[in-house]
Amino acid sequence: MTTVDERARELTPPSTPALRLRGISKRYGPVVAADNVDLDVNRGEIHGLLGENGAGKSTLMKILLGLVQRDSGTIMRGDTPVDVHDPQDAVALGIGMVHQHFSLIDALTVWENVILGDTGRIDRAAACRQVEEVSRRYGLPIDPTARVERLSAGERQRVELIKCLRRDPSVLILDEPTSVLTQAESAELFTVLRHVVRAENRAVILISHKLAEITAATDQVTVLRKGKVVFHSATSETTPPELARQMVGRDVSLRAEGAALGMLPVDGPVPSGEPPAEPPPETPAESAAASSDAAPATTGTAPALRLRDLTVVIDGVTVLSDLSLDVAPGEIVGLYGVEGNGQSTLGDLLSGLILPSSGAVELAGRPVELERPGALHRAGLGIIPEDRHSSGVVLDMSVAENLVMKSIGDVSGRGFVSRRKMHAVARRLAAEFNIVAPSLDAPVRSLSGGNQQRVVLARELSAGPGVLVAAQPTHGLDVGAIEDMYRRLRDAASGGVAVLLISTELEEVMALASRIAVICSGRITGVLPAAEATAERLGMLVGGVAA
Amino acid sequence: MSAADNISTILSSGIRLTVPLAFAACGEYLAERAGTMNISLEAMMLGAAFGSVATASATGSATAGLVAGVLIGLLIGLVHGNLAHRLEVNTFVVGLVLNALVLGLTSYLITISSFDSHQVSQVSVPWLRDIPLIGHPLFVERWPVYLLLLVVPLTWWLVERSRWGLELRAVGEQPQAADVTGIRVNLRRRQALLWCGALAGLGGAYLAVGEVGSFNQNMTAGRGYIVIAAVIFGAWRLGRTLLGCVLFGLADAMRLALPALGLTMNSQLLVVAPYLLALVAMLVFTTRNREPKSLGQPFVRGST
Amino acid sequence: MTAPSTGAPPGTGRRLLGLLTPRPYGWPTPVATAVGVVVALALSSALITLTGGSPSASVQALFQGSMADWTAWSSTLLYAAPLLLVAVGACVSARSGSFNIGQEGQVLIGALAAAWVGLRLAINGPVLIVIMLLAAALAAGAWAGLSSLMHRLRGVNVVVSTMLMTFVAQQVVAYAVNMPWLLQESRVGNAPVSPQSNPLPPSGLLGSFGEYPGLQINGGLILAVAAAVVIAVAITRTPWGFRLTMLGRNPLAAKHAGVRVNALGGAALAISGALAGLAGAVLLASPVGVNRLQPGMAMNIGWDGLLVALVARNRPLAAMPVALLFGVLRSGGGFLAATGVPSFLVDVVKALLVLAFVAPPVVVALARRRRSGGRTAGARQEAAPVAEEAIA
Repeated sequence: MTTVDERARELTPPSTPALRLRGISKRYGPVVAADNVDLDVNRGEIHGLLGENGAGKSTLMKILLGLVQRDSGTIMRGDTPVDVHDPQDAVALGIGMVHQHFSLIDALTVWENVILGDTGRIDRAAACRQVEEVSRRYGLPIDPTARVERLSAGERQRVELIKCLRRDPSVLILDEPTSVLTQAESAELFTVLRHVVRAENRAVILISHKLAEITAATDQVTVLRKGKVVFHSATSETTPPELARQMVGRDVSLRAEGAALGMLPVDGPVPSGEPPAEPPPETPAESAAASSDAAPATTGTAPALRLRDLTVVIDGVTVLSDLSLDVAPGEIVGLYGVEGNGQSTLGDLLSGLILPSSGAVELAGRPVELERPGALHRAGLGIIPEDRHSSGVVLDMSVAENLVMKSIGDVSGRGFVSRRKMHAVARRLAAEFNIVAPSLDAPVRSLSGGNQQRVVLARELSAGPGVLVAAQPTHGLDVGAIEDMYRRLRDAASGGVAVLLISTELEEVMALASRIAVICSGRITGVLPAAEATAERLGMLVGGVAA
Repeated sequence: MSAADNISTILSSGIRLTVPLAFAACGEYLAERAGTMNISLEAMMLGAAFGSVATASATGSATAGLVAGVLIGLLIGLVHGNLAHRLEVNTFVVGLVLNALVLGLTSYLITISSFDSHQVSQVSVPWLRDIPLIGHPLFVERWPVYLLLLVVPLTWWLVERSRWGLELRAVGEQPQAADVTGIRVNLRRRQALLWCGALAGLGGAYLAVGEVGSFNQNMTAGRGYIVIAAVIFGAWRLGRTLLGCVLFGLADAMRLALPALGLTMNSQLLVVAPYLLALVAMLVFTTRNREPKSLGQPFVRGST
Repeated sequence: MTAPSTGAPPGTGRRLLGLLTPRPYGWPTPVATAVGVVVALALSSALITLTGGSPSASVQALFQGSMADWTAWSSTLLYAAPLLLVAVGACVSARSGSFNIGQEGQVLIGALAAAWVGLRLAINGPVLIVIMLLAAALAAGAWAGLSSLMHRLRGVNVVVSTMLMTFVAQQVVAYAVNMPWLLQESRVGNAPVSPQSNPLPPSGLLGSFGEYPGLQINGGLILAVAAAVVIAVAITRTPWGFRLTMLGRNPLAAKHAGVRVNALGGAALAISGALAGLAGAVLLASPVGVNRLQPGMAMNIGWDGLLVALVARNRPLAAMPVALLFGVLRSGGGFLAATGVPSFLVDVVKALLVLAFVAPPVVVALARRRRSGGRTAGARQEAAPVAEEAIA
């Protein structure tokens, strides 16, 4: 290991690119995760990388770290093209990453974690000394002999930082570093980062959703959308509203047009591949107004779905805290927030996978006995789970089986599953929801993501639910499938179903919802009618800036 | 016979019965810390026992037999490692098949061959052997017994102090995190199985060319499973695991000594002790907290 | 439709090893399996040749002992019956996602319960054998259920607990036949007593159809085939089997769909144990043994039955021919010795065959993933790129 002093001698002058990416592309099947991305990361600067979930930030970073291989493009260190085949290559190139998850081993001590991945003999005393030295130099106090499992989230991140900085990286990547930190811990982190770039002339890539953070801490900012670089600027020359707009994208209006159309009743299935009627350009505010106009009055009737003071504590961590929200029949309520603020826990809860520590779920005015298996389904709640592969579908069972999974009793008679009835139901649903499959007996695994999602949607809607919860319903889908999903959700709402849309994508919430609730750290921090929820306002609210 | 003689005899036989378990336990302990529940331990011990006797007979050297036993253990470890941690066949299935294969193969071969008897030589430590009660049991033994003095600290050092062991522990706990850190998870698990194979081989070979001098069909008779029980009983700590081996060895010695002692106690409780103690350890104590978190789970990059 | 449908053509999806392996599609798996079988047989022949035997003579001896005449066939079927029962049980638990490897012990517990009931009641008439079979199923089901309980209460791994419980069961039976007040045989005069029970009364035996020297079909075989058919239908055609399959393939989705995960999983393990227990009763009450409870009476039927299920890839109907093949190997093995080849050869052949059936699907699936995904877990990533995004 070279020491910082040694490195300091070979420092390149400020503002030379430490790392250059040229034309990086990566696709997963039909989904383009990175599309011809160019990026220059300079020494002595913090470079903010902004984008929604799925915009391609993580894929790009994984390519830099050697965890994913790019399809095309060049990575250059200075002017020399380099190859990054595995994490060891990345370390050799001086690229270090502070991972948000999955990088520390709980059962090991701090110093053991810090030296994990090195080579050569272990010198415990030297390792502890180095940890203390790095921790002193950057002001990151930590006990090197503590076990990681006993550390708080903030302390764990200190360990990650120390582990990374000890290897003296020329480029330091941080992925959503403050999502689990308190305000004070975040402030401490940015102090460290400033020191790292100013005093030690390293380059930092900061991946974040939080506009305030990006504006306050970065020197350059690049916005990614749908795998493409859509915006680049010196941070001082842009504003949070501009960034929020860039992150969400100008084609918001295009989707919003669809939202307006969707409120009209639709007769029979419409092929989803059919392009929507020529969309006249419209501003987000107008479209939001349109949807809220069309939403039925929410006063007077009992809400179809009422979440009452839901609190979930997992391993001593409060993940949801007194969360309350109502959804009226025929209404689409968007629950918007940055990933990791309790949305997936709420999704698990509404899927019947976990029980709340306190609070209740009421459907059509009646509390649901959550501890009874399948109670939510019987009470009329349909759900499109966030990760369809983990609980939405059984990949190795057939399309038909997945379609009748929750209503197996309905296609059975005299103790046996009727293949005929099952196929009849499946055929009808497949036609109605445009599910394209090699056959109804083909495993769901062989379907495209969009069609898998249609299977889930078809199954959930076929039960005639009063409430439909859609958690990240368009993750990983291509444009056609997304449009189709939006249309189906609007159809459901106009048919009187209460729709709760849990999403991290602003444009999605803007396009569909008539009311938007913002979730942050397991709490609802605000509910706005769509008319008042501009992209800027929501983007700033969820980014921790008062709107 | 006096009571002291009886105790000395049981101690002596208990130690001899413990030694093969202790060698194999050092191997299994390390493999489990790296996340492999290696039930082909039985195959490793049995195959090595056979190989050592065959080699000793062919070369006339019991020591060569010992070496052959280690090599056969390594070979089985290599096969298990590649099937389970390269081709991703379920590790328990691999274990079942290898156990059946080696049992069948050694039974087949021993039926059609006959081997000369060879035994490694005995060491008798002057002075110490004269200590009453424990002197003879501990200090008059076949020399490979004293290899334990090397193997046990070495295993401990490897797991707890070496970089390799640090990586093994990481791999056994959170393989996804270890992978992100740049550790080759499946390679480490295969290497751990090699260490396990070598030591289980040593244990099996000691049983054959050390204690008995010959091979008989299904000679290990489930000792591999007893060792697995010992590791569970030991809550994945080396000291307690070895204590388990000693207890189980002594229980076995007691069982063998019952007729000589004129006791009419039933032997079944002594035979079943290892398994019951392992089950009780898992049920009653907080043993599970110490279990490597990904024990028995395959590692596939990108999952979970 | 903008979303293209990818993947295998219809009809190529096969139910393979369930949880134990990923499920690949397309032609390479059967081909790889065929290659594996050929390699297994070639290795076995090489072993015979190298040790001075003749492969063709061995095949002939195997045939002589297992299929050459009605007597040989009768003996083969006697072995096939308990093997099939154990294998069908193994299919049930593996389908539900728990891997029960304790059948050898569950067989013994079943035999113990059947012997105890049979000798204690000793009533005349066919009702006795029915009670014995029920007792065997209940006792072994409860025995396996203990593992499920340990898993639920303390998170003890089912594979480990069923394995350890096997050795406990062996000693329980050894204890029972060593205790005069329990099941040890009665002393006759001054003759020494062995660690075994008294012989069962005639009403406690399973009868056979057909008489020597013709083909004899024992009641145990009928029971086993019936169990295989019932379980096959239950798994593939009933709502219960549907839920079981869901649980095995994706426990989270099953829970989400309202399946009582713990109850169903526990029941599957208990049923698997109960079927192994029935196999024990059949071993005890059919002419395959001496109709006494003996500590060694399980004869590795439990372990072998598990292997049968592995080869049959957890399909009860496929387990029928595989159990028959294993029965052939067992009853033919006895004839091998006459040709100078030890009967243990069949154990080698069995193990190699299992490997030949278990490894190929996994290897093919892995090869596909490597091909499509490069260094990363391609199949998963292709399916869920954004889920991946969310992780990192």
